[in-house]
Amino acid sequence: MKAMILAAGKGTRVRPITHVLPKPMIPLVRKPVMEFLVEHLKTHGVRQVMVNTSHLAPVIEDYFRDGDRFGVHMAYSFEGDLVGGQIEGKAIGSAGGMKKIQDFSGFFDETFVVLCGDALIDVDFAEVLRFHQARKSIATLVLRDVPPDDVSKYGVVQTDGSGRIIGFQEKPRREEAISSTINTGIYIFEPEIFHFIPSGMEFDIGGELLPELVRRGQNIFGITLPFTWLDIGSVPDYWEATSMLLRGKVSGFSIPGEEVRPGIYCGINVRIAWDRVQVEGPVYIGSSTSVGDGATIVGPTVIGAGCVIQPGAILRECILADYTRVSSIAVLEQKLIFGSKCIDPSGRYLDIEESRIGWLMDDARKKEELSEDELQLISELNSMTKA
Amino acid sequence: MKLAERKVGAYSILEVLESRLGADKAVAFKEAVGRHLSGGTASVVLDLSQVEFIDSSGLGAILSILKRMPKGRELILCGTTDSVMSMFKLTRLDRIFTMKKNVDEALTTLAI
Repeated sequence: MKAMILAAGKGTRVRPITHVLPKPMIPLVRKPVMEFLVEHLKTHGVRQVMVNTSHLAPVIEDYFRDGDRFGVHMAYSFEGDLVGGQIEGKAIGSAGGMKKIQDFSGFFDETFVVLCGDALIDVDFAEVLRFHQARKSIATLVLRDVPPDDVSKYGVVQTDGSGRIIGFQEKPRREEAISSTINTGIYIFEPEIFHFIPSGMEFDIGGELLPELVRRGQNIFGITLPFTWLDIGSVPDYWEATSMLLRGKVSGFSIPGEEVRPGIYCGINVRIAWDRVQVEGPVYIGSSTSVGDGATIVGPTVIGAGCVIQPGAILRECILADYTRVSSIAVLEQKLIFGSKCIDPSGRYLDIEESRIGWLMDDARKKEELSEDELQLISELNSMTKA
Repeated sequence: MKLAERKVGAYSILEVLESRLGADKAVAFKEAVGRHLSGGTASVVLDLSQVEFIDSSGLGAILSILKRMPKGRELILCGTTDSVMSMFKLTRLDRIFTMKKNVDEALTTLAI
Protein backbone atom coordinates (compact mmCIF):
# COMPACT_ATOMS: atom_id res chain seq x y z
CA MET A 1 0.00 0.00 0.00
CA LYS A 2 1.13 3.55 -0.72
CA ALA A 3 0.53 6.55 1.51
CA MET A 4 0.39 10.29 1.51
CA ILE A 5 0.99 12.56 4.47
CA LEU A 6 -0.58 16.00 4.32
CA ALA A 7 2.07 18.40 5.56
CA ALA A 8 1.45 21.66 3.71
CA GLY A 9 -0.67 23.43 6.33
CA LYS A 10 0.40 26.70 7.88
CA GLY A 11 -0.45 25.70 11.43
CA THR A 12 -2.09 29.01 12.27
CA ARG A 13 -3.58 27.71 15.51
CA VAL A 14 -0.22 26.47 16.79
CA ARG A 15 1.50 29.82 16.45
CA PRO A 16 3.96 30.93 17.57
CA ILE A 17 5.54 27.44 17.43
CA THR A 18 4.77 27.19 13.71
CA HIS A 19 6.71 30.37 12.93
CA VAL A 20 9.80 28.17 12.94
CA LEU A 21 8.51 24.60 12.72
CA PRO A 22 5.83 23.23 10.40
CA LYS A 23 3.17 21.38 12.35
CA PRO A 24 4.28 17.84 11.39
CA MET A 25 7.73 18.61 12.86
CA ILE A 26 6.50 19.69 16.29
CA PRO A 27 8.18 17.29 18.70
CA LEU A 28 6.18 15.10 21.04
CA VAL A 29 8.74 14.40 23.76
CA ARG A 30 11.65 14.76 21.32
CA LYS A 31 10.22 13.07 18.24
CA PRO A 32 8.41 14.96 15.46
CA VAL A 33 4.80 13.84 15.25
CA MET A 34 5.30 12.95 11.57
CA GLU A 35 8.07 10.50 12.47
CA PHE A 36 5.57 8.54 14.56
CA LEU A 37 3.29 8.46 11.51
CA VAL A 38 6.02 7.25 9.15
CA GLU A 39 6.97 4.48 11.60
CA HIS A 40 3.33 3.49 12.00
CA LEU A 41 2.79 3.36 8.24
CA LYS A 42 5.87 1.19 7.89
CA THR A 43 4.63 -1.32 10.46
CA HIS A 44 1.48 -1.62 8.34
CA GLY A 45 3.43 -2.53 5.24
CA VAL A 46 3.50 0.88 3.56
CA ARG A 47 6.73 1.27 1.59
CA GLN A 48 6.19 4.45 -0.43
CA VAL A 49 5.17 7.73 1.18
CA MET A 50 4.47 10.97 -0.65
CA VAL A 51 4.41 14.18 1.38
CA ASN A 52 3.07 17.50 0.16
CA THR A 53 5.06 20.37 1.65
CA SER A 54 4.72 24.13 1.53
CA HIS A 55 5.17 26.27 4.64
CA LEU A 56 8.75 25.70 5.92
CA ALA A 57 9.10 22.77 3.49
CA PRO A 58 12.89 22.33 3.94
CA VAL A 59 12.48 21.55 7.65
CA ILE A 60 10.46 18.45 6.73
CA GLU A 61 12.45 17.52 3.62
CA ASP A 62 15.85 17.86 5.32
CA TYR A 63 14.75 15.68 8.21
CA PHE A 64 13.16 12.77 6.35
CA ARG A 65 15.15 13.07 3.10
CA ASP A 66 14.50 9.96 0.98
CA GLY A 67 13.14 7.99 3.92
CA ASP A 68 16.01 5.52 3.96
CA ARG A 69 16.66 6.06 7.67
CA PHE A 70 13.03 5.12 8.36
CA GLY A 71 12.95 2.09 6.10
CA VAL A 72 10.54 3.57 3.55
CA HIS A 73 10.78 5.51 0.31
CA MET A 74 9.77 9.12 0.78
CA ALA A 75 9.34 11.96 -1.69
CA TYR A 76 7.86 15.44 -1.66
CA SER A 77 5.50 17.49 -3.72
CA PHE A 78 6.34 21.11 -3.02
CA GLU A 79 3.55 23.66 -3.26
CA GLY A 80 4.91 27.18 -3.68
CA ASP A 81 7.71 29.18 -5.24
CA LEU A 82 11.27 30.18 -4.48
CA VAL A 83 11.28 33.97 -4.64
CA GLY A 84 14.50 35.89 -4.10
CA GLY A 85 16.04 32.94 -2.28
CA GLN A 86 13.04 32.67 0.04
CA ILE A 87 10.47 29.89 -0.03
CA GLU A 88 6.95 31.15 -0.44
CA GLY A 89 4.37 28.51 0.38
CA LYS A 90 1.27 28.35 -1.80
CA ALA A 91 -0.71 25.36 -0.56
CA ILE A 92 -3.43 24.05 -2.88
CA GLY A 93 -5.59 22.17 -0.40
CA SER A 94 -5.42 18.55 0.66
CA ALA A 95 -7.23 17.14 -2.40
CA GLY A 96 -5.46 19.63 -4.69
CA GLY A 97 -2.14 18.36 -3.32
CA MET A 98 -3.03 14.75 -4.10
CA LYS A 99 -4.23 15.66 -7.58
CA LYS A 100 -1.00 17.50 -8.32
CA ILE A 101 0.98 14.33 -7.58
CA GLN A 102 -1.40 12.19 -9.62
CA ASP A 103 -1.20 14.54 -12.60
CA PHE A 104 2.60 14.51 -12.32
CA SER A 105 3.23 10.74 -12.38
CA GLY A 106 0.07 8.75 -11.71
CA PHE A 107 1.69 7.73 -8.40
CA PHE A 108 -1.56 6.56 -6.81
CA ASP A 109 -2.17 3.42 -8.86
CA GLU A 110 -3.58 1.26 -6.05
CA THR A 111 -5.50 1.59 -2.79
CA PHE A 112 -3.75 4.22 -0.66
CA VAL A 113 -3.78 5.81 2.79
CA VAL A 114 -3.92 9.57 3.43
CA LEU A 115 -3.09 11.06 6.83
CA CYS A 116 -2.88 14.54 8.29
CA GLY A 117 0.66 15.21 9.46
CA ASP A 118 -0.42 16.86 12.69
CA ALA A 119 -1.93 14.09 14.79
CA LEU A 120 -0.32 11.12 16.49
CA ILE A 121 -2.35 8.01 15.68
CA ASP A 122 -2.11 4.24 16.00
CA VAL A 123 -5.01 3.16 13.79
CA ASP A 124 -5.04 -0.47 12.76
CA PHE A 125 -4.91 0.06 9.00
CA ALA A 126 -5.38 -3.66 8.34
CA GLU A 127 -8.81 -3.46 9.94
CA VAL A 128 -9.74 -0.27 8.09
CA LEU A 129 -8.59 -1.84 4.83
CA ARG A 130 -10.72 -4.96 5.43
CA PHE A 131 -13.75 -2.74 6.05
CA HIS A 132 -12.94 -0.68 2.95
CA GLN A 133 -12.60 -3.70 0.68
CA ALA A 134 -15.64 -5.56 2.05
CA ARG A 135 -17.84 -2.56 1.17
CA LYS A 136 -16.17 -1.85 -2.17
CA SER A 137 -15.72 1.68 -0.89
CA ILE A 138 -13.84 4.25 -2.94
CA ALA A 139 -13.25 6.44 0.10
CA THR A 140 -13.24 5.25 3.71
CA LEU A 141 -12.94 7.68 6.58
CA VAL A 142 -11.80 6.85 10.07
CA LEU A 143 -14.35 8.42 12.39
CA ARG A 144 -14.52 9.19 16.05
CA ASP A 145 -17.27 10.09 18.47
CA VAL A 146 -16.47 13.24 20.41
CA PRO A 147 -18.28 15.10 23.20
CA PRO A 148 -20.97 17.38 21.65
CA ASP A 149 -19.10 20.46 22.90
CA ASP A 150 -16.13 19.61 20.67
CA VAL A 151 -17.92 19.26 17.32
CA SER A 152 -17.32 22.88 16.32
CA LYS A 153 -13.58 22.15 15.91
CA TYR A 154 -14.08 19.40 13.33
CA GLY A 155 -15.76 18.14 10.20
CA VAL A 156 -18.91 16.33 11.34
CA VAL A 157 -20.14 13.21 9.54
CA GLN A 158 -23.52 11.48 9.39
CA THR A 159 -23.71 7.76 8.55
CA ASP A 160 -26.51 5.25 8.04
CA GLY A 161 -26.60 1.87 9.82
CA SER A 162 -24.11 0.26 7.42
CA GLY A 163 -21.47 2.96 7.84
CA ARG A 164 -22.34 4.65 4.53
CA ILE A 165 -21.77 8.38 4.77
CA ILE A 166 -24.84 10.44 3.99
CA GLY A 167 -23.98 13.91 5.22
CA PHE A 168 -21.17 16.32 6.09
CA GLN A 169 -20.87 19.55 8.00
CA GLU A 170 -17.72 21.63 8.40
CA LYS A 171 -17.19 22.88 11.95
CA PRO A 172 -20.87 23.33 12.85
CA ARG A 173 -22.13 25.03 15.98
CA ARG A 174 -23.03 22.53 18.69
CA GLU A 175 -26.77 23.10 18.35
CA GLU A 176 -26.67 22.73 14.56
CA ALA A 177 -24.52 19.59 14.40
CA ILE A 178 -26.11 16.60 12.63
CA SER A 179 -24.13 14.20 14.83
CA SER A 180 -21.19 14.11 17.22
CA THR A 181 -19.17 11.79 14.96
CA ILE A 182 -16.21 13.53 13.39
CA ASN A 183 -13.76 13.00 10.56
CA THR A 184 -10.25 12.38 11.96
CA GLY A 185 -8.49 13.14 8.68
CA ILE A 186 -7.41 9.52 8.18
CA TYR A 187 -8.54 8.07 4.87
CA ILE A 188 -8.25 5.07 2.60
CA PHE A 189 -8.90 5.95 -1.03
CA GLU A 190 -9.15 4.21 -4.39
CA PRO A 191 -7.52 5.97 -7.35
CA GLU A 192 -11.04 6.52 -8.81
CA ILE A 193 -11.49 9.49 -6.50
CA PHE A 194 -9.25 11.53 -8.81
CA HIS A 195 -12.16 11.70 -11.29
CA PHE A 196 -13.80 14.02 -8.76
CA ILE A 197 -10.87 16.36 -8.11
CA PRO A 198 -10.25 19.20 -10.56
CA SER A 199 -6.66 19.76 -11.73
CA GLY A 200 -4.67 22.91 -11.09
CA MET A 201 -6.84 24.45 -8.43
CA GLU A 202 -7.26 24.56 -4.68
CA PHE A 203 -9.45 21.70 -3.47
CA ASP A 204 -10.08 20.34 0.01
CA ILE A 205 -10.81 16.74 1.00
CA GLY A 206 -13.15 17.41 3.91
CA GLY A 207 -14.88 20.50 2.61
CA GLU A 208 -15.15 19.70 -1.11
CA LEU A 209 -14.15 16.22 -2.27
CA LEU A 210 -16.11 14.18 0.29
CA PRO A 211 -19.38 16.14 -0.05
CA GLU A 212 -18.99 15.83 -3.84
CA LEU A 213 -18.61 12.04 -3.57
CA VAL A 214 -21.76 11.84 -1.44
CA ARG A 215 -23.66 14.09 -3.87
CA ARG A 216 -22.66 11.87 -6.77
CA GLY A 217 -23.84 8.75 -4.91
CA GLN A 218 -20.39 7.19 -4.66
CA ASN A 219 -19.56 4.40 -2.22
CA ILE A 220 -18.12 6.31 0.68
CA PHE A 221 -18.00 4.83 4.15
CA GLY A 222 -16.88 5.67 7.66
CA ILE A 223 -15.53 3.31 10.30
CA THR A 224 -15.39 3.98 14.02
CA LEU A 225 -12.79 1.95 15.87
CA PRO A 226 -10.80 2.47 19.04
CA PHE A 227 -7.38 4.06 18.55
CA THR A 228 -5.14 6.71 20.03
CA TRP A 229 -5.58 10.08 18.40
CA LEU A 230 -3.51 12.94 19.75
CA ASP A 231 -4.34 15.97 17.70
CA ILE A 232 -1.84 18.79 18.00
CA GLY A 233 -3.97 21.24 16.04
CA SER A 234 -3.59 24.00 18.65
CA VAL A 235 -1.26 24.99 21.49
CA PRO A 236 -3.64 23.60 24.19
CA ASP A 237 -3.86 20.32 22.21
CA TYR A 238 -0.08 20.14 22.02
CA TRP A 239 0.20 20.77 25.73
CA GLU A 240 -2.30 18.03 26.54
CA ALA A 241 -0.65 15.54 24.16
CA THR A 242 2.81 16.03 25.68
CA SER A 243 1.44 15.69 29.18
CA MET A 244 -0.42 12.46 28.29
CA LEU A 245 2.70 10.93 26.75
CA LEU A 246 4.82 11.76 29.80
CA ARG A 247 2.20 10.47 32.21
CA GLY A 248 2.18 7.14 30.36
CA LYS A 249 -1.40 7.52 29.16
CA VAL A 250 -0.59 6.51 25.59
CA SER A 251 -0.04 2.81 25.06
CA GLY A 252 2.95 1.85 22.98
CA PHE A 253 4.81 5.08 23.69
CA SER A 254 7.98 4.93 25.75
CA ILE A 255 9.78 8.01 26.99
CA PRO A 256 13.21 8.25 25.34
CA GLY A 257 16.50 8.17 27.22
CA GLU A 258 17.36 6.11 30.26
CA GLU A 259 15.22 6.02 33.40
CA VAL A 260 17.81 7.17 35.92
CA ARG A 261 15.39 7.60 38.83
CA PRO A 262 11.75 6.49 38.99
CA GLY A 263 9.89 8.60 36.43
CA ILE A 264 13.00 10.58 35.53
CA TYR A 265 14.51 10.01 32.10
CA CYS A 266 17.78 11.41 30.82
CA GLY A 267 19.70 11.60 27.58
CA ILE A 268 23.48 11.23 27.74
CA ASN A 269 26.13 13.66 28.94
CA VAL A 270 23.81 15.32 31.45
CA ARG A 271 25.42 17.34 34.24
CA ILE A 272 23.36 17.13 37.42
CA ALA A 273 24.06 16.41 41.09
CA TRP A 274 20.99 14.39 42.05
CA ASP A 275 21.44 14.95 45.77
CA ARG A 276 21.45 18.70 45.31
CA VAL A 277 18.38 19.17 43.10
CA GLN A 278 14.70 18.47 43.56
CA VAL A 279 13.19 16.57 40.65
CA GLU A 280 9.70 15.07 40.59
CA GLY A 281 8.74 12.98 37.56
CA PRO A 282 7.60 12.48 34.99
CA VAL A 283 10.53 14.44 33.64
CA TYR A 284 12.73 14.05 30.58
CA ILE A 285 16.09 15.85 30.59
CA GLY A 286 17.80 16.10 27.21
CA SER A 287 21.42 15.24 26.44
CA SER A 288 24.22 17.71 27.19
CA THR A 289 21.98 19.69 29.53
CA SER A 290 23.23 21.02 32.85
CA VAL A 291 21.05 21.46 35.91
CA GLY A 292 22.53 23.63 38.65
CA ASP A 293 22.37 22.89 42.37
CA GLY A 294 19.19 23.89 44.13
CA ALA A 295 17.07 23.78 40.98
CA THR A 296 13.53 22.42 41.23
CA ILE A 297 11.97 20.51 38.34
CA VAL A 298 8.43 19.19 38.60
CA GLY A 299 6.80 17.08 35.88
CA PRO A 300 5.32 16.55 33.52
CA THR A 301 8.28 18.43 32.09
CA VAL A 302 10.45 18.04 29.00
CA ILE A 303 13.82 19.78 28.95
CA GLY A 304 15.50 19.82 25.55
CA ALA A 305 19.12 19.05 24.71
CA GLY A 306 21.91 21.53 25.46
CA CYS A 307 19.82 23.45 28.02
CA VAL A 308 21.28 25.29 30.99
CA ILE A 309 19.15 25.34 34.12
CA GLN A 310 20.95 27.66 36.48
CA PRO A 311 21.18 26.98 40.22
CA GLY A 312 17.92 27.63 42.05
CA ALA A 313 15.68 27.94 39.00
CA ILE A 314 12.16 26.54 39.38
CA LEU A 315 10.41 24.67 36.56
CA ARG A 316 6.92 23.22 36.93
CA GLU A 317 5.16 21.52 34.04
CA CYS A 318 7.29 23.01 31.30
CA ILE A 319 8.46 22.17 27.81
CA LEU A 320 11.82 23.72 26.95
CA ALA A 321 13.19 23.71 23.42
CA ASP A 322 16.81 22.67 22.85
CA TYR A 323 19.39 25.22 24.03
CA THR A 324 17.20 27.06 26.49
CA ARG A 325 18.91 28.86 29.36
CA VAL A 326 16.82 29.43 32.47
CA SER A 327 18.30 31.79 35.04
CA SER A 328 18.47 31.25 38.78
CA ILE A 329 15.77 33.78 39.53
CA ALA A 330 13.21 32.37 37.06
CA VAL A 331 10.05 30.57 38.08
CA LEU A 332 8.50 28.86 35.07
CA GLU A 333 5.10 27.36 35.72
CA GLN A 334 3.29 25.79 32.79
CA LYS A 335 5.49 27.47 30.22
CA LEU A 336 6.60 26.34 26.81
CA ILE A 337 9.85 28.05 25.85
CA PHE A 338 10.27 27.93 22.13
CA GLY A 339 11.71 30.16 19.41
CA SER A 340 12.39 33.06 21.85
CA LYS A 341 8.79 32.99 23.07
CA CYS A 342 7.50 32.11 26.51
CA ILE A 343 4.15 30.45 25.76
CA ASP A 344 1.22 29.61 28.06
CA PRO A 345 -0.82 26.42 27.57
CA SER A 346 -3.61 28.67 26.26
CA GLY A 347 -1.35 29.84 23.42
CA ARG A 348 -0.84 33.34 24.83
CA TYR A 349 2.81 34.29 24.87
CA LEU A 350 5.50 36.76 25.83
CA ASP A 351 8.22 37.62 23.34
CA ILE A 352 11.48 37.28 25.26
CA GLU A 353 13.22 40.03 23.31
CA GLU A 354 10.34 42.49 23.36
CA SER A 355 9.86 41.96 27.11
CA ARG A 356 13.63 42.30 27.62
CA ILE A 357 13.80 39.22 29.79
CA GLY A 358 16.78 37.60 28.08
CA TRP A 359 18.44 37.71 31.50
CA LEU A 360 15.68 35.42 32.76
CA MET A 361 15.55 32.96 29.88
CA ASP A 362 17.21 32.87 26.50
CA ASP A 363 19.07 30.77 23.99
CA ALA A 364 21.87 29.08 25.93
CA ARG A 365 24.26 29.60 23.01
CA LYS A 366 23.96 33.37 23.25
CA LYS A 367 26.65 35.08 25.25
CA GLU A 368 25.08 36.30 28.47
CA GLU A 369 25.65 40.05 28.35
CA LEU A 370 23.87 41.80 31.15
CA SER A 371 23.38 45.56 31.29
CA GLU A 372 23.94 47.57 34.49
CA ASP A 373 20.17 47.81 35.00
CA GLU A 374 19.70 44.08 34.57
CA LEU A 375 22.52 43.25 36.96
CA GLN A 376 21.02 45.58 39.52
CA LEU A 377 17.54 44.10 39.07
CA ILE A 378 18.89 40.57 39.45
CA SER A 379 20.80 41.43 42.58
CA GLU A 380 17.74 43.15 44.08
CA LEU A 381 15.50 40.22 43.19
CA ASN A 382 18.02 37.82 44.68
CA SER A 383 18.30 39.71 47.94
CA MET A 384 14.56 40.37 48.26
CA THR A 385 13.20 36.96 47.29
CA LYS A 386 15.68 35.13 49.44
CA ALA A 387 15.24 37.44 52.41
CA MET B 1 3.72 59.48 31.19
CA LYS B 2 0.07 59.59 32.18
CA LEU B 3 -0.80 58.98 35.78
CA ALA B 4 -4.10 59.78 37.52
CA GLU B 5 -4.22 60.35 41.25
CA ARG B 6 -7.22 60.29 43.49
CA LYS B 7 -7.63 60.13 47.24
CA VAL B 8 -9.85 57.72 49.06
CA GLY B 9 -9.78 58.53 52.75
CA ALA B 10 -6.19 58.47 53.85
CA TYR B 11 -5.01 56.54 50.82
CA SER B 12 -3.66 57.61 47.51
CA ILE B 13 -4.68 55.73 44.38
CA LEU B 14 -2.40 56.08 41.39
CA GLU B 15 -3.75 54.76 38.14
CA VAL B 16 -1.26 54.21 35.33
CA LEU B 17 -2.97 55.46 32.17
CA GLU B 18 -0.54 53.81 29.76
CA SER B 19 -1.04 50.52 27.96
CA ARG B 20 2.68 49.86 27.70
CA LEU B 21 5.23 50.24 30.48
CA GLY B 22 8.47 49.66 28.63
CA ALA B 23 12.01 51.02 28.59
CA ASP B 24 10.91 54.30 26.99
CA LYS B 25 8.49 55.04 29.84
CA ALA B 26 10.27 53.52 32.84
CA VAL B 27 12.25 56.57 33.94
CA ALA B 28 9.34 59.00 33.52
CA PHE B 29 7.11 56.56 35.37
CA LYS B 30 9.53 56.28 38.29
CA GLU B 31 9.83 60.05 38.53
CA ALA B 32 6.09 60.68 38.26
CA VAL B 33 5.30 58.21 41.02
CA GLY B 34 8.22 59.60 43.04
CA ARG B 35 6.68 63.09 42.92
CA HIS B 36 3.39 61.76 44.25
CA LEU B 37 5.17 59.92 47.03
CA SER B 38 7.21 62.89 48.17
CA GLY B 39 4.12 65.10 48.27
CA GLY B 40 2.04 62.88 50.53
CA THR B 41 2.10 60.77 53.61
CA ALA B 42 -0.43 58.12 52.70
CA SER B 43 -0.09 54.50 51.67
CA VAL B 44 -0.41 54.01 47.94
CA VAL B 45 -2.43 51.74 45.67
CA LEU B 46 -0.88 51.46 42.23
CA ASP B 47 -3.62 50.52 39.78
CA LEU B 48 -2.11 48.72 36.75
CA SER B 49 -5.37 47.67 35.11
CA GLN B 50 -4.70 49.72 31.97
CA VAL B 51 -1.22 48.25 31.47
CA GLU B 52 -1.24 45.48 28.88
CA PHE B 53 2.51 45.17 28.45
CA ILE B 54 5.42 45.56 30.81
CA ASP B 55 9.06 44.81 30.16
CA SER B 56 12.04 44.29 32.37
CA SER B 57 12.62 48.05 32.78
CA GLY B 58 9.01 48.53 33.85
CA LEU B 59 9.42 45.84 36.49
CA GLY B 60 12.64 47.50 37.64
CA ALA B 61 10.83 50.83 37.96
CA ILE B 62 8.04 49.35 40.11
CA LEU B 63 10.60 47.60 42.28
CA SER B 64 12.50 50.85 42.82
CA ILE B 65 9.25 52.56 43.85
CA LEU B 66 8.73 49.87 46.48
CA LYS B 67 12.24 50.43 47.79
CA ARG B 68 11.64 54.16 48.05
CA MET B 69 8.44 53.81 50.06
CA PRO B 70 9.02 55.55 53.38
CA LYS B 71 8.70 53.41 56.50
CA GLY B 72 5.14 52.96 57.68
CA ARG B 73 3.63 53.53 54.24
CA GLU B 74 2.48 50.64 52.17
CA LEU B 75 2.45 50.06 48.43
CA ILE B 76 -0.18 47.74 47.02
CA LEU B 77 -0.45 46.78 43.37
CA CYS B 78 -3.78 45.95 41.83
CA GLY B 79 -5.53 45.17 38.57
CA THR B 80 -2.58 43.43 36.93
CA THR B 81 -3.57 42.05 33.52
CA ASP B 82 -2.62 38.45 32.64
CA SER B 83 0.50 39.37 30.70
CA VAL B 84 1.75 41.73 33.41
CA MET B 85 1.01 39.14 36.11
CA SER B 86 2.92 36.60 34.08
CA MET B 87 6.03 38.83 34.20
CA PHE B 88 5.69 39.23 37.97
CA LYS B 89 5.46 35.47 38.44
CA LEU B 90 8.38 34.66 36.14
CA THR B 91 10.64 36.95 38.15
CA ARG B 92 9.27 36.05 41.62
CA LEU B 93 8.18 39.67 42.07
CA ASP B 94 4.71 38.37 42.94
CA ARG B 95 6.27 37.16 46.19
CA ILE B 96 7.65 40.60 47.06
CA PHE B 97 4.62 42.76 46.36
CA THR B 98 1.21 42.76 47.91
CA MET B 99 -1.00 42.29 44.87
CA LYS B 100 -4.77 42.57 44.79
CA LYS B 101 -7.39 42.03 42.14
CA ASN B 102 -8.77 45.57 42.12
CA VAL B 103 -8.73 48.91 43.91
CA ASP B 104 -11.55 47.90 46.28
CA GLU B 105 -9.68 44.81 47.47
CA ALA B 106 -6.51 46.85 47.85
CA LEU B 107 -8.31 49.45 49.99
CA THR B 108 -9.86 46.72 52.13
CA THR B 109 -6.40 45.28 52.75
CA LEU B 110 -5.05 48.68 53.73
CA ALA B 111 -7.93 49.30 56.09
CA ILE B 112 -7.28 46.14 58.09
